[in-house]
Amino acid sequence: MRQPRADEYAQFAAARAGHLYRSACLLTAGDTHLAEDLVQEALGRIYVRWGRISRVDNPAGYAQTVLTRVFLAHQRRRSSTERATDTIPDRAAPDGGHGDLPLRLTLLQALARLPAKDRTVVVLRYWEDRSVEETADVMNASSAAVRTRSTRALGRLRELLGEELGEYATP
Amino acid sequence: MPVEHDPDPFETRLGHALRDAGDRFTADRAALVDGGLARGRRQRLRRRTAVLGGVAGVALAGVGGALLTPWDDGGASRPGTSGRPSAQAPVAPVTGHELIESLEKMLPEGEVSGQEAKGGADGAPAPYARVVFDDGEGAAGIVVGLDRIAFGGQHARQTVDCPDRTLVRHDACVSTELPDGSLLKLFQGYVYADGRAKTKLWSADLVTPAGQHVFVNELNAAAEKDSPVTRPEPPLSTDRLKKLVAAPVWRGYADSLPEDPVEAAEPPAEPSVDSVLDTFAALLPRKVKVVERGEDYSFLVLDDGGGRGYVQVDVQHNMGDVAGELFGEGSETLPDGTLVNFRENGGDKGVPGAVMWTVDSLRTDGFRVVVSALNAPTQHDAPSRTAPVLGKERLRKIALSPEWDRYR
Repeated sequence: MRQPRADEYAQFAAARAGHLYRSACLLTAGDTHLAEDLVQEALGRIYVRWGRISRVDNPAGYAQTVLTRVFLAHQRRRSSTERATDTIPDRAAPDGGHGDLPLRLTLLQALARLPAKDRTVVVLRYWEDRSVEETADVMNASSAAVRTRSTRALGRLRELLGEELGEYATP
Repeated sequence: MPVEHDPDPFETRLGHALRDAGDRFTADRAALVDGGLARGRRQRLRRRTAVLGGVAGVALAGVGGALLTPWDDGGASRPGTSGRPSAQAPVAPVTGHELIESLEKMLPEGEVSGQEAKGGADGAPAPYARVVFDDGEGAAGIVVGLDRIAFGGQHARQTVDCPDRTLVRHDACVSTELPDGSLLKLFQGYVYADGRAKTKLWSADLVTPAGQHVFVNELNAAAEKDSPVTRPEPPLSTDRLKKLVAAPVWRGYADSLPEDPVEAAEPPAEPSVDSVLDTFAALLPRKVKVVERGEDYSFLVLDDGGGRGYVQVDVQHNMGDVAGELFGEGSETLPDGTLVNFRENGGDKGVPGAVMWTVDSLRTDGFRVVVSALNAPTQHDAPSRTAPVLGKERLRKIALSPEWDRYR
């Protein structure tokens, strides 16, 4: 990579790494080690294609897409030991939480109980604020499939979080 | 009369809760950036090596589609479309304009506005066209979309099966098979499952044996959200919806899309956790007691009188393409071609004294059974014994048992 482009990439990666990591933490339901691994893999893939990515309208959105697909690919290919990481996530306490920490953990635990693709739909739609069509694009799925997953995931989260989430997010 | 509605309070709260939870995770950004750079350089090197050697690297092929097109990476050629010899020139990808034009032609008399579309030519894996249609009774959003899914696969089944009423509120749903073998679902329900707004969503989903998926959604409002109800029902009758979704033009357009590599790689059906655990439990030594059983994941906690131990099993299909990654040096090949290896490590959580034994096995058809045992009741707990409850030989016997063949 030529120097100006390499600098541009480094700047982009530094600016987006934090957000990508937070997204990855939600996608993995709090497995911070796996989240780090996924972000590094995504940034690696972005590096390889930086020439093209830097020219798209929204490189940040592209980066998120890459991260999501790296996560989904990981889910498909995980080995037994990686599976164990998913099944019993670290659920490392997010830094700095005190009063409502248990509720955050409850949320992460509820996310962990969703199938990976359903969790991905929730993260893209409610954390990334993507529309159904955009979510479908990112996941290489149809919007009908995203809608089905979304309905199912929200139903399950309502069931798992119910009142707790109600108390949680009063402004 | 228009019906105003607020966004779903639960969805709003969920958004807040996710943001709050997400924002508390702090990253070591420098480490992430450095790690990403190192991986990128390695990938670039592997890629060059693969191209020079004329070999598509396994590691790149799997998730290579991450970016622009699914066949963009790893040197793999674009998959052929259904029923066409791959040597033939590929069909030109459908454009958004073509989709809108075709949709408008099939609508009854009325005014069409708000056209919006994304075609395969724009890089969309699942192209769609959206219009607002008004036959004089009120504006209604109509969307037609296409993609490719594996006929008979899990995704296809979820698409054409009517949902459970306890999960998705709806007035009617019929799933039928058409004379050409295609499956059709006609659904009359609501945008919001909890009934807080009266926006109706009627849809038709068609999946053909060639794996073309066409769907049409119509509303009794101009848009799904933040848009008032304009009429009692969506404008197209079920009959018209059926004709619209089954029009041959869509199938031709769907043929211009690549097969979905994700779905194509998905196994036909994964066995349930319960069933896997029943098989697993039947292969355990008699003196061992099962004290806990996984519900969402296939694990057991065992006790042989000498302390509790966690064991888990994974049954996976289509894993042949990663054989090279999983079965490296020290792996054994059995006479029937099955690959086996044994791994020992300290578990995944860095617990001092933890010992995890794993036997991994891969049949020639890509069917994989992996069994692991830990010397603690969970991955987080301190070891409760020196060695896992199941010995290495027993793990091997379990992984290679013909009992698993029922899931192949």
